[in-house]
Amino acid sequence: MANTVVDIKKTTKKKSQFGEIWHRFKKSKAAFAGLIIFTLILLVVIFADVIVDYDVSITQNISQRLQHPGGDHIFGTDNFGRDIFARIIHGSRASLFIGVAAVAVAVVIGGILGAIAAYYGGITDSIIMRVSDTIMCIPFMLLALTVVAALGTSMINVIIAMTISSVPRYIRIVRAAILPILGQDYVEAAHSVGSGDAHIIFRHILPNALGPIIVQTTMSIGSQIISAAGLSFLGMGIQPPTPEWGAMLNEAKVYMLTHPYMVIIPGIAIGLTALSMNLMGDGIRDAMDPKLKD
Amino acid sequence: MIKYVIKRLLIMIPTLLAVIFIVFFITNMTPGDPGSLILGQNASKEDIAKKNEELGFYDPLLVRYGKYVWDLVHGDLGNSWKSGRSVMKEVLGRLPVTATLAAGSVIIGIIFGISLGIISAVKQYSITDIILTIIAMFLASFPGFWIGMMLILLFSLALGWLPAFGVGSFKHYILPWITAGCGFIASQLRMTRTSMLECIRADYMRTARAKGQKEFKVITRHALRNALLPIITLVGMEFGSMLGGTVTIESVFSLPGVGSMIIEAIRLKDVPLILGGTISLSILFTVVMVIVDILYAFVDPRIKARYTK
Amino acid sequence: MSENTEVKNVKNDNVLEVKDLSVIYKTDERTVYAVSHINFALKEREAIGLVGETGAGKTTTALSIMRLLPERTGKVTGGEILLHGENLLDFPKDRMRMARGEQISMIFQDPMSALNPVISVGDQILESLEIHNHDNKTKAELDARVDELFELVGIPANRKVEYPHQFSGGMKQRIVIAIALACEPEVLIADEPTTALDVTIQAQVLALMEELRDKLGMAMIMITHDLGIVAETCDKVAVMYAGEIIEMGSLVDIFEGENHHPYTVGLFNAIPNLEVETERLSPIDGMMPDPADLPPGCNFAPRCPYATDACNAGTPEAVEVNPGHTIACLRFREGK
Repeated sequence: MANTVVDIKKTTKKKSQFGEIWHRFKKSKAAFAGLIIFTLILLVVIFADVIVDYDVSITQNISQRLQHPGGDHIFGTDNFGRDIFARIIHGSRASLFIGVAAVAVAVVIGGILGAIAAYYGGITDSIIMRVSDTIMCIPFMLLALTVVAALGTSMINVIIAMTISSVPRYIRIVRAAILPILGQDYVEAAHSVGSGDAHIIFRHILPNALGPIIVQTTMSIGSQIISAAGLSFLGMGIQPPTPEWGAMLNEAKVYMLTHPYMVIIPGIAIGLTALSMNLMGDGIRDAMDPKLKD
Repeated sequence: MIKYVIKRLLIMIPTLLAVIFIVFFITNMTPGDPGSLILGQNASKEDIAKKNEELGFYDPLLVRYGKYVWDLVHGDLGNSWKSGRSVMKEVLGRLPVTATLAAGSVIIGIIFGISLGIISAVKQYSITDIILTIIAMFLASFPGFWIGMMLILLFSLALGWLPAFGVGSFKHYILPWITAGCGFIASQLRMTRTSMLECIRADYMRTARAKGQKEFKVITRHALRNALLPIITLVGMEFGSMLGGTVTIESVFSLPGVGSMIIEAIRLKDVPLILGGTISLSILFTVVMVIVDILYAFVDPRIKARYTK
Repeated sequence: MSENTEVKNVKNDNVLEVKDLSVIYKTDERTVYAVSHINFALKEREAIGLVGETGAGKTTTALSIMRLLPERTGKVTGGEILLHGENLLDFPKDRMRMARGEQISMIFQDPMSALNPVISVGDQILESLEIHNHDNKTKAELDARVDELFELVGIPANRKVEYPHQFSGGMKQRIVIAIALACEPEVLIADEPTTALDVTIQAQVLALMEELRDKLGMAMIMITHDLGIVAETCDKVAVMYAGEIIEMGSLVDIFEGENHHPYTVGLFNAIPNLEVETERLSPIDGMMPDPADLPPGCNFAPRCPYATDACNAGTPEAVEVNPGHTIACLRFREGK
């Protein structure tokens, strides 16, 4: 009887490593709250046009300008009489997209360079690491700003700027995640049967280094959203009239003392989005590496 | 040990040259030229081209880079295209504001972040721990510049306790410090907590308890000393990101720091100012990181031993 | 030290006595029955070996005696641990703290991580002396004692200013031993003191411990899964399985006696014997039960070749097969 019990355990364990992580993730109230907030934001992003017409968010209406929340406009209107609710709803797309895209591109580039550095070692490693160390000597925000200054302000350029500034971090993370794997027997085995470098990197090494990479990725989306908002806030990101939360704060800055709602509402939107990503990031980390927890 | 310090300082030189090159290279792509900024919009194309020629604007990138570094070594960052004023003077005039802001917030971060992080770790799973974790999570999620605006609304507008904009007195710095310190507290708290938890679970803690050591001393003498090692590095890195991060905060509080100078320069496409500002802050950051590295070696006997031979 | 003499007046020649001790680990998800109703006693100079597989409850027993179970999860649910007749589980915190290092010391399994990496080894030994410095010795006297301890464990005293990373594993374990012995405890618990070391170093460290026990006359609990170490160092042996002591007796009883618990027999069959030629080692079939989900009767029944229905009915009581030799197995119930 004991034997059958063991067998059952073995089979269930095999197929559900992901299930186990999900199970632990679900158990964390904070992580689950993050998931719920994020799902809601995602729904807003997807159904923005259903909720409120895009035109409403960019239509200027001077007669309705600077109206406090309530009445026809639940979040009030801005200095051009645009409905803030509509701008928040449609601004979610740009704000979230920049954060996610910047991280995604940086992870891919950083991942490839990090894997190359770790795998080939020697001079390749030295060059990649020296260059990335140098870039890391330039404060993140300043580097992003100079890149935007050079390329001009647009959504793509903001993403490029944030990618350049954050790639070195991912190179380090991926390299650090891969180095210990290189010594493993299955990598040696793959070498000995004559597998090609690319095959070994993509089939054997990257999948096993995925854990720390996923954790770091989720955890940095939040801070990237904040950084993107910072660039827009400085007038170096998304340009009006396109609705974007950081840019809304920039426009609202002048009116903050008389019309505080204009700064409060977009800030909460940014904060909740970043919060949901951070909560999920923490949850995923704890779920993937339970020994860190207690 | 002195050998190590000297070696570390020498390695810093090529790093700085590389940093300057990267910033120089990127900024070089900024549209705009000195001639049109200096001579104004009404100048003829020929005049502008002549002026650019004169200023060496058409020289190859490496030649200009070489000249720039040569001048920098002699304490010259060039002149603003717009105002013609010395960039070095401008930067030095504004650096104290940025440095005060960054240093103050780092100190706030260290004091509150580390001490709260220790409490959080030692009382893991207690109500205090949960509340502190939640606070840190919120501080890490809301943009610093927005928190600054909220502080202005509360302390300047509603309560009228503190000035909202500009410089002049110590009081003017309080809100910016808290604002910049918030993000720092969050990261320090989280890092200290994680680091402490790791050390609290270490085997040497059990050894210390098995000796009969008091719990308070077990924590301070054994756990904290080990936990502080990674935190030192974080402090250095945070100081660096603070040098960049102050840009937004300077903007919120209308502080005349290097950051707001860079923003203004970007708007005007005044390349020497962008370059000068970015490079001086990057140099400051690099120097701080080297100092942190050296400090680290002094604190951690494992690293110290590697270099004393 | 006045405490000590007072305590000794309580008439009992057992230095340490563990009575009916049970310990659980409780997490949100499950409750692990790590130690259940164990009994053993130690006289002065006596050494008992706790043997068993990983997870049998040996280290838990040791940590309970030190009262260093993980605070949040570990809990003693019953029984007593008598130190000179006094239940140390009832000691106030400070009293217990002073007992640690002074009356009971412990050597941990992994010397690599047992020492604090950022404090010099000399200071780590000195710390122990300072905590228990009841007669206000001067710093110089304590320093002299540190030197003495270094000599005792065979390390030149001038290395005391060095840090743990500058020592080899065997050397580190010597330092851990020096810390444990600094205040000449009455009971020394050694939790797999040589598992992490190379075989040649193992022998050196064991020899050192034997020598020091002779010199200082303390009682010792040797936790190990290596029967060879037990044979070399112990007077008594307790075999643990799934949180219970299933057989206990003198060294002779266990190594040469005729009657054994089936698990003990399996344990001996699983080690190579140079004198008797065997085709292959015979490991015990199956695995130790999950301590969070123990079988209803005898814990060993699922793996036991002699198991009957009666074995699944209830936990067997320990039976004394001859004086001092007890076996917890139904096969040894009187009449058998």
